[in-house]
Amino acid sequence: MSTGHSPAGTEPDRIALALTAFVNANIMARGRTVEPDDEFEPMGIDSIALLKVLLFIESEFGFWMPDEDLVAENLASPRALARYICRRRGRS
Amino acid sequence: MALHSPGTLRSSSNAVLVVQCDGALDAERVRGSLERFLQFCPWPAARLRRPFPWGKLHWAASRRGGAPPSVRRRTVATAEEFLQTLDAEVNTGIDPRREPPMRVLCVDGARDALVLTWFHPLMDPRGAQNLLRHLLHLDRDPAPAPWGNAVPRFIRAPDTRALRERGQLARQSMAYMQTLPHAAPVSAGKVAGGRVRFRQASFVERESTAKPARTTQEIWWRLAVVGNAMRRIWEQRRVPDVAFVLPVAVDLRPKGEVGPTFGNMLAFHFARFKPSDAADVPRLASMLREQMASALREGQIEANDAAMDFLQYRPLAFVRRALRRMGGEIFSFNCADVTDFPAALEQCFGRRVVNAYHIPAVPPRPGIGVFFNRCAGRSNLVVAWIDGVVTDNDVTQIVQTVREGMGWIDAS
Repeated sequence: MSTGHSPAGTEPDRIALALTAFVNANIMARGRTVEPDDEFEPMGIDSIALLKVLLFIESEFGFWMPDEDLVAENLASPRALARYICRRRGRS
Repeated sequence: MALHSPGTLRSSSNAVLVVQCDGALDAERVRGSLERFLQFCPWPAARLRRPFPWGKLHWAASRRGGAPPSVRRRTVATAEEFLQTLDAEVNTGIDPRREPPMRVLCVDGARDALVLTWFHPLMDPRGAQNLLRHLLHLDRDPAPAPWGNAVPRFIRAPDTRALRERGQLARQSMAYMQTLPHAAPVSAGKVAGGRVRFRQASFVERESTAKPARTTQEIWWRLAVVGNAMRRIWEQRRVPDVAFVLPVAVDLRPKGEVGPTFGNMLAFHFARFKPSDAADVPRLASMLREQMASALREGQIEANDAAMDFLQYRPLAFVRRALRRMGGEIFSFNCADVTDFPAALEQCFGRRVVNAYHIPAVPPRPGIGVFFNRCAGRSNLVVAWIDGVVTDNDVTQIVQTVREGMGWIDAS
C-alpha cells in the first residue's frame, strides 16, 4: 500500500517505520508484512498482539498508553500510532 | 480449555464449528475434498503422551481412529430441528481411540450449513478454520496446499530451544501460577459432568454508542463485560466475594495468515478479579489490561507456552499440579474471543457464508463459558454450559448484560 510519504522524512514517518518493523518482526507471519498505513485489524492484530505493540511503545518511547487514548483514531495503523506518539510527546 | 483425559472420557469434549451458507452444500464435493486431504495428511487419533518428559511429542492414528471421518447429510424441516441437530453434534462425544477425531455434517432444508465437530484437544478454532481453508482450496485447485505447497501439519514445528531452557521456562510458569489466589475461586459449582447446552445469538453494532470505537473489541473489555454478567448471577446466589479466576487462551500463531497448522497453538494467561470489581466495567477492563500487560512483560505467556509444550498441552492437569486444589474448583468460568471468521472463507463449496460460529463443549469445570466471534458483519455470542450449572433465565441475563455492555442490538 502506498503511504504517500517519503520513507523516513519526518518524525512521524520514522516512528511509523519503527512500529512497522517491530510488528513485522514480532507479530506477523513470514511473508505477510504490514505497511505503515495498513490497518491493524484486517491484518489479524488481536488484543494480545496490540498489547505487544503498546509494550514496545513503552520501552522505546517511555510511556504507557492510558485507557482513554485506546481509541480507533490512535490505534488504527502504525502511522496512526506514530501520530499519537508525536502528539503525546508534544504535550509532555 | 481442553480437558484431555481419554481414559476417563465421561462427557463430551467436542467443539463444533457451524458455517451457515446461503444454499445447500453438496456433500459429495465435501467428501471429495476431505478424501484428497487425507491422502497427504492422515488423521491423528489422539495426542499421545510422551514416554518421558523429554520424549518426542507426536501424534499417531490407531487403526480404527485413523479411519476417514464420515461426511453425513441431514435435512432439517425447522430451525428448531437444526438446533436439535447441533445439540446432538455437541453432545455425542468423540472418543479418538475408537473413531475418527472429527465428524462432518452437511445440513440443508430450513437451514443450510456445514458443521464440523471435533474432539476438542485436537484443534483450536483457528486450526479448524485452517482445515476448512485447506478443504476449500482442494475443492477448487489441484495443488495440494494453499500455502506455497507447504505440507499441512497437525502440530507446530518442534521447539529447538535446549531442554534445560524449556524446563526453566516451565518452572517459571508453574511459579507464576502459584501466585494466583490460593483460595478456591468462586465457581459455577462442582459439576461432575453432564449434557452440554448452548445458546447462540447474533448482533450488530449500535449505530451510535457512547463508548469510543475499538474499546469493545478488546478481550479485556469482553472479559469485563462477561465478568459483570457473572457477578450479577453470583450476587443473586449470595456467593461470597471471592476471586474469579479465568483461563485466557492466547493464540500464538503468527498473524496475517491462517497457515497450515491445525493443532492447538495456545498459551494461557489467568485473569483474576473479585465479583465486586466487575460492577465498574471500564475500571475492570483497565485492570485486566494491566494484568495481561504484566504477564507479557514478565514473560509469563512465553513461559506458559513452553510449559504447555513441555507437558504435552494438558493445561488443566498443569494448573491442577500448580495449584494443588484437591477437590476444589480451579476456574470460575471461561470467556474467549474466538477468532473472526476469515474473509478468505466467505465462499464455502460454492455457497456464500452468511454466518459462522463456534460451540465448544465446556468441560465439567468450570462448566460455563461465553464465546465471541464475528462473521460477515455480525457479532456472535455463544453461551455454553453444563446442564444444571445455570438456569435458562441466568443465560438470558448473561446475554442481555453482554449485549448492553457491548453496545449491540439484535441482528435482524
